Amino acid sequence: MTRTTRVVDSVLGWVLVALMGIAVVNVLWQVFTRFVLADPSSFTDELARYLLIWIGLLGASYAAGRQMHLAIDLLPARLTGRPRFYLGVLIEACIFLFALSVLVIGGIHLVALTLTLGQTSAALHVPLGYVYFVLPLSGLLMMFFSVGAVMQQRAALHEGDGNTEEAGETR
Amino acid sequence: MEWVDVIVLGCSFIILLAIGVPVAFSIGISTVLTMLLSIKTGPALTTMAQRIATGLDSFTLLAIPFFILAGQLMSRGGIARRLIEFAKALLAGLPGGLAHVNILAAMLFAAISGSSVATASAVGSIMGPRMEEDGYERSFGAAVNITAATTGLIIPPSNILIVFSLASGGVSITALFLAGYLPGVLVGLSLMLVAGVLAVRRKYPVARRTGWRQIGKRFLAALPSLLMLVVVMGGIVSGVFTATEAAAVAVLYALILALAYREITFRDLPQILLSTSATTAIVLLLVGTSIGMSWILAYESIPQNVSLALIGLTENKILVLLIINVILLAVGVFMDITPAVLIFTPIFLPIAVQLGVDPTHFGIIMVLNLCIGLCTPPVGTVLFVGVGVAQTTITRVIRPLLPLYIAMIVALMIVTYLPGLSLWLPKLFGAQ
Repeated sequence: MTRTTRVVDSVLGWVLVALMGIAVVNVLWQVFTRFVLADPSSFTDELARYLLIWIGLLGASYAAGRQMHLAIDLLPARLTGRPRFYLGVLIEACIFLFALSVLVIGGIHLVALTLTLGQTSAALHVPLGYVYFVLPLSGLLMMFFSVGAVMQQRAALHEGDGNTEEAGETR
Repeated sequence: MEWVDVIVLGCSFIILLAIGVPVAFSIGISTVLTMLLSIKTGPALTTMAQRIATGLDSFTLLAIPFFILAGQLMSRGGIARRLIEFAKALLAGLPGGLAHVNILAAMLFAAISGSSVATASAVGSIMGPRMEEDGYERSFGAAVNITAATTGLIIPPSNILIVFSLASGGVSITALFLAGYLPGVLVGLSLMLVAGVLAVRRKYPVARRTGWRQIGKRFLAALPSLLMLVVVMGGIVSGVFTATEAAAVAVLYALILALAYREITFRDLPQILLSTSATTAIVLLLVGTSIGMSWILAYESIPQNVSLALIGLTENKILVLLIINVILLAVGVFMDITPAVLIFTPIFLPIAVQLGVDPTHFGIIMVLNLCIGLCTPPVGTVLFVGVGVAQTTITRVIRPLLPLYIAMIVALMIVTYLPGLSLWLPKLFGAQ
């Protein structure tokens, strides 16, 4: 990873730690209020669902940055040097375009749509547009990471032509 | 149904997958390409974004990260090791002892965690070196561990049964969980039978039988871990907790145990939470994009067409189930279990129900079937993890895996044609 991607990766990591921690405490609180206080909390169910959307999408961009998503690497594993680099660029381009079109453009449309319709959540009264804001956000992060991955693979290619140790990160 | 659309969907998906685009993105991109054939660009992109977001908007799905988190705490917190010691005291004295120990330990771990990947890495990392020390071939140990770990998804709690419940539009999670016990045990026993025969033939050593006193001691050490099973499943079956709440309680319980055993400290928590988030997100992105693909398939009326074609072929329940099983086995080889369940449940479940198959029973058939694909290349998550922890290669484990595949397929056939095996427990507890 380059220095910039490393910073983003680490900030994103701490955000995920916080969201996951809150998600656990939130559901435990739901159990506690129902059994111990006998006064079920009204917001925990909704908060849990929104946290899951945020964890899912932000986590997906974190996993994309770390090349953790499940893929078949039969073809990439067989290539070395320049062809391997071009294939890597093609794969990252697919991720980039999906993130741009669906998550950023589609996501912004969805955010704008729910904000104009004035849809708010039932218990927390949060505008749903704020919840869906995670779509363009994680889309941008994915695009950022895929550019970073290509730059890193290119640097590795130039560093030692034929030496693809660095570029050949396993997916 | 437009044939062009179906061809675009199928071909783009396969090409993207083959060149090495991650599965979740391959599903997403091929879905969007297909949408663009019949829907305007703006609405198509918004619809896909909306499918992903609303697909994850589910309290039930939150059980998945919690079970993954509990599993991580259990494997790092010394809980897996105590279960293995108990299994060893019970079974190491049998012919093929350590293979049986691995399988039983996997089943016990499965009974408190919801994932087969967690089971494969937790049990495999401890059992692998021990089996090798005793003269077991490394690839054989890995093959046994990989197949045994699939019980993690059949014996409850199970993350994939939660996904099935979602995809089926509301089959009870409690019923599905209860239905998984006996088929899971059957898979375990079939694997033990085959692994035992192989181990005897390969003349692997047999340990001395453990005394009762020792067994009792190991049982007491494992008891707090085993009690977790009572808390989680007891809570769900009695209706005290929902699956998600039970999973959160499992996290708390595993955390307290792991801290009490002094195997982890609060300092380890951020790292554990982060790796849980990443593992979860990989599954959740698959869920989101698969829900998109399932939507476009419904939009193209694919489920109705497949159903008409299948029923047109034969109305014999036995044959239809056989055909569905064969198709799913092929699907499982090339697709991860989560998208396979989300995409194929809406297609096959209505046919099965129409022919009088209970939806709960069908869920177990489907999951058990797709579990076999988890152990096969090119897409086999459990295979990858199992090979990784054993530090061997896929080529080496394939040979010892072959007889174990057959054991799983035989178990699948028994589960398919003996509905009682799945449905007896849910009926007993009135969960249906």
